Amino acid sequence: MKLTSGIYLSILTLILVIYYLVCGIYLNNLGYYNHESLFYIEKAKIVFEGTGNRLKVMGLTAPLIPFYATFIFTGFSATLAPVLASAVGTAVLFYVIASTITKRLNDDGYIWLLLIIFLFHPGIIYTAASGKSIYLILIFFFLFFLNLFKFYRSNTTFHVSIASLCLVILIFCDYKFIWLTLFFLPLVLSITIHSLNLGEQESIFRLFLSFNSPSLRRKLVNKTFALYIILFSLPLAAVLCYKLLNLTHASDLNYFAESPYATWNVLIDKLSFDQISTNSKYQIPETSILLSARVVLFAPMILIAIYLFRESTYQVLTILIPFAFIEFLHIKYDKVFLAYQYYMIFLILAYLCVIFKAHTVKNHKSFKLLLAVTILFQLYFGWDYLKNSLVPEERNFVKVLTENKDDTVQQDNVDVANYLNSLPGDAHVLADDAIAYGIIAFTTDIKPVIMPYQGNFLSALESPDKYVDYVVVATAKNIVSGYTQLNNKYIISIRHTIPNVNFRKVYETNDWTVYRVITNATEGGFDSRLIRK
Amino acid sequence: MRISIPELLTNDGFITAGDREAIEQHSAASGLSYIKIALTSGYISRKNYDRSIQNAGYQIHEHPRDEAYDQDVLDKIDLTFAHDRLAMPLRIENGKVVVLMASPDDDLFIDFIRFTYDMEPEIILASDLDITWLSNKLLGEKYTKSAVFELMKRDPDSSAVVTFSTTQLIVIFVIIALVTIGLVLSFKNTSIIINVIISSFFLVAIIFKLFLALVGSRFELHQAVTKEELKLVVDDELPIYTILLPVYKEDKLIKKLIWNLQSIDYPRHKLDIKLLIEEDDDKTFNAVKNLDFPAIFEVIVVPFHMPKTKPKACNYGLHFARGKYLTIYDAEDIPDTDQLKKVVSLFGKLPDEYICIQSALNYFNRNENFLTRMFTLEYSYWFDYMLPGLDTLDIPIPLGGTSNHFKLDELVDLGAWDPFNVTEDADLGVRAYAKGYKIAIINSTTYEEANNEPFNWIRQRSRWIKGYMQTYLVHMRDPVALWKEIGWKGFLGFNFFIGATPITFLVYPLLLTFFICYVVFDLSTIRTLFPDWVLFMSIFNLMVGNILMIYINMIAVFKRRYYELILFAIANPIYWLMHSISAYKGLYQLIVKPFYWEKTNHGLSKVNSPTNVVK
Repeated sequence: MKLTSGIYLSILTLILVIYYLVCGIYLNNLGYYNHESLFYIEKAKIVFEGTGNRLKVMGLTAPLIPFYATFIFTGFSATLAPVLASAVGTAVLFYVIASTITKRLNDDGYIWLLLIIFLFHPGIIYTAASGKSIYLILIFFFLFFLNLFKFYRSNTTFHVSIASLCLVILIFCDYKFIWLTLFFLPLVLSITIHSLNLGEQESIFRLFLSFNSPSLRRKLVNKTFALYIILFSLPLAAVLCYKLLNLTHASDLNYFAESPYATWNVLIDKLSFDQISTNSKYQIPETSILLSARVVLFAPMILIAIYLFRESTYQVLTILIPFAFIEFLHIKYDKVFLAYQYYMIFLILAYLCVIFKAHTVKNHKSFKLLLAVTILFQLYFGWDYLKNSLVPEERNFVKVLTENKDDTVQQDNVDVANYLNSLPGDAHVLADDAIAYGIIAFTTDIKPVIMPYQGNFLSALESPDKYVDYVVVATAKNIVSGYTQLNNKYIISIRHTIPNVNFRKVYETNDWTVYRVITNATEGGFDSRLIRK
Repeated sequence: MRISIPELLTNDGFITAGDREAIEQHSAASGLSYIKIALTSGYISRKNYDRSIQNAGYQIHEHPRDEAYDQDVLDKIDLTFAHDRLAMPLRIENGKVVVLMASPDDDLFIDFIRFTYDMEPEIILASDLDITWLSNKLLGEKYTKSAVFELMKRDPDSSAVVTFSTTQLIVIFVIIALVTIGLVLSFKNTSIIINVIISSFFLVAIIFKLFLALVGSRFELHQAVTKEELKLVVDDELPIYTILLPVYKEDKLIKKLIWNLQSIDYPRHKLDIKLLIEEDDDKTFNAVKNLDFPAIFEVIVVPFHMPKTKPKACNYGLHFARGKYLTIYDAEDIPDTDQLKKVVSLFGKLPDEYICIQSALNYFNRNENFLTRMFTLEYSYWFDYMLPGLDTLDIPIPLGGTSNHFKLDELVDLGAWDPFNVTEDADLGVRAYAKGYKIAIINSTTYEEANNEPFNWIRQRSRWIKGYMQTYLVHMRDPVALWKEIGWKGFLGFNFFIGATPITFLVYPLLLTFFICYVVFDLSTIRTLFPDWVLFMSIFNLMVGNILMIYINMIAVFKRRYYELILFAIANPIYWLMHSISAYKGLYQLIVKPFYWEKTNHGLSKVNSPTNVVK
């Protein structure tokens, strides 16, 4: 069987889709969810079922591309859509890499090695079965670098423009990748110098020649500038336009990145910060200098990649850019732990570099053996990193996957949602999806739920008696209760400002309390459905 | 004793013995008179010829156009023969046939006179140009009628002589009526439906164009004809190549034209270059007459007949074309010097169904002003990305105005250009596909003069857009038949490329006004006409559409290495507004004077245009 033929690749991809779906659905049945997938589920529900300013939710929910990717699968199952998207997406990633191998190397061995990674690497399984957007980041990160390397080789506009398009999509998959552009600024000059038609081969002498000849200098400046424009104008213009849209529709340029209504990161970052500030033990592995070392340990194949590219300085620099990028992220977002996806990009980049340069290797047998050993090494450290991750969600994934026990992390949200589902159809509920998106994600019918994307939310907040029958309030134990108005203080303040209105607890969990809004005239007895957990 | 013109010219030192032999060989092979080859293949200038003739004691008649003529006498000679010999009979006088001749020693023509009229000729020596003018004027009616009506007679469905068919008029008026009734009955819902249709249309158009550009940009990696293949071309095996040069009041460009033509790398005796001058265009005519160096083209005077369009002139010139292949250049064009050889090589490689090869067009005066920069951006994107994209996807290619190279026989078979269509080239491209032929794109560029004057630009663009509308209407008379002829890909491509272009430009200013009102005046009432998801789509179109179109323009000039133009791509939205002005002008003209040819003035550029020698 020749794996490099298109038909076999398609079959392998299909098998992987099934494999990932089994993993994803298995985890889903155990109750595994994460913040990101819950956020997408909730926003998709608003887009398809909500009534109110859906345009804002549709256009300003970030990251945009992963959100839209879940749309496609919402028709199958709203709560399973992110998992379906990530499972299919990860298989697509396999196909993309495998077809690149097919085009460049006529050797099944590299496909088998890739298959080992895609079957057993915990990072890949996490990517595929978690419902997170990592699969999109990896796909477009891979395509971005692939086209960049192709551009280095062919010097054609086509590849550099495709690379730019991939960068745009990458940024709209994870806004932090905008910082990647920062490190390409010096590199572009190096690329331009290399592309000038000069007899001299050494970079430094090429630079010397270019700067000392007026015509070459002009050409260098023009070309460098043009390359900047071609590579970065599209991402920058896209971000600028997106920011303007945020300004016109949400009166805030950075709404998409800073509002908990627009993105799930905000809340998670705050939690991460809380964890750091309350943790007495300093997290040694996240020390700046050690971060790159951790990456090398996680994906040692990158060392082989650097070795293969050793003859071209600017191409080695290209490989080193992601290192600078994560170091930068660590400094800029010092209150946030580096998520697993930023390690995963090295896994993909390393394999890309290897397949791009494998044709230069003389002894393929030994080389593949070396790669196999490296991959085994990567599998071990992949498990180790995920199991001991500083991000609770990632640790939880391994726990649920390996222990085969129900995940209770989202149980509170599910219980409250079940309670809301049991309410009569005409009962209106006030909820703030800045933190309660987990509840809304499990709610069957969101039409009676009044949320901030609707115009009447503020009125309902001010006069709940006139708009809603129930209010979902975060308890003091809820670690993110400080990020919503609908917490215990709200109940007290309304009782204080509108004496005629009162609230009766009808349902309570550790994190949430559901109150029934009552006017003093209609105040009744204890609700039989009250369950105290 | 009669003199021999070749001998006279050799004795006077105007022609070398080698040239004389070459001309005689060429004359024997082609059937053209000696003097015709000498004057039109760059051997001797007209002034020198006149000088030689006059020194030999001959008198050249300065005003042969005033001479009386007899129609019965004229009826016995065919225009092509008069053309080939540069001579024509006028009348019978005193038992002799009065003839105009450019060279008094043309025995073949003298024998023809003797044989046909059974009389001796009385020769009046005249300038070859005057004879050409007079012969075309007096003998060209049959050819003119053919140039104008041939397509209409042979294939009336493909002729734009009827702008709107009855069915099309009914459809248009029914749509207008429905929209009006809808707006009166329910303004909001009708507006929403219109918005949905426009937004969906724009969305598909944007995605289609991006896709085309990406497909086309891969063409960058492919060389239709490589340098190695070009080296294999043997000069002696090259076929005769006809070049048509339709001009109108281009007197300033004639000298430039000669320089450009002389740079073409193709055996001189295998070039059949025809300068097509309108009958009333004395300016160009006199400019050619006053040339003081050898010309390498033959003049053909196109007799007056409406419509006075470029395709009519080309159709007329086609009757005299001798080449196996034929191309059209504008007077100011500077083709890559190896273009003709590349085309011959590519035709040799392509299957027989390929009857036309389009070269890329670009501009030599790109840095002259804002308009020329924008024009260059547009052409780089059009010819380097869009047309190769269409080519790859097997969608009808709207040919560019010049530098399209045809197989002559197939072109004639196709019905040649439609003289009633003002973008006859685009129409011909679609017609070729409809008849089962194919068009290829070649990696060779012709540099033209970009319009550098706004009003001149609008005139030219309004004609192009009007022509697109004409072409669309002609081929959409029977959409089902078109679908069957060019397939679904071709049909959709035709609709989104030819049909969508004028509509996009017509709608663009309206949508822009909506958007500006929405942003500046905060007209929240507009929201009622744009439900959330329609507004979402509209904003997506506006943002993503504009950015992508600008970006594609950027990468097109990047590919051409015109780095200095990249930032000008940002000004595209302003440039598109100029398109919109032209589109409205074109629409108005389509209704009131559909065949009117908005003349573009050339030669306005002050930029020197060095020949584009390909090494």
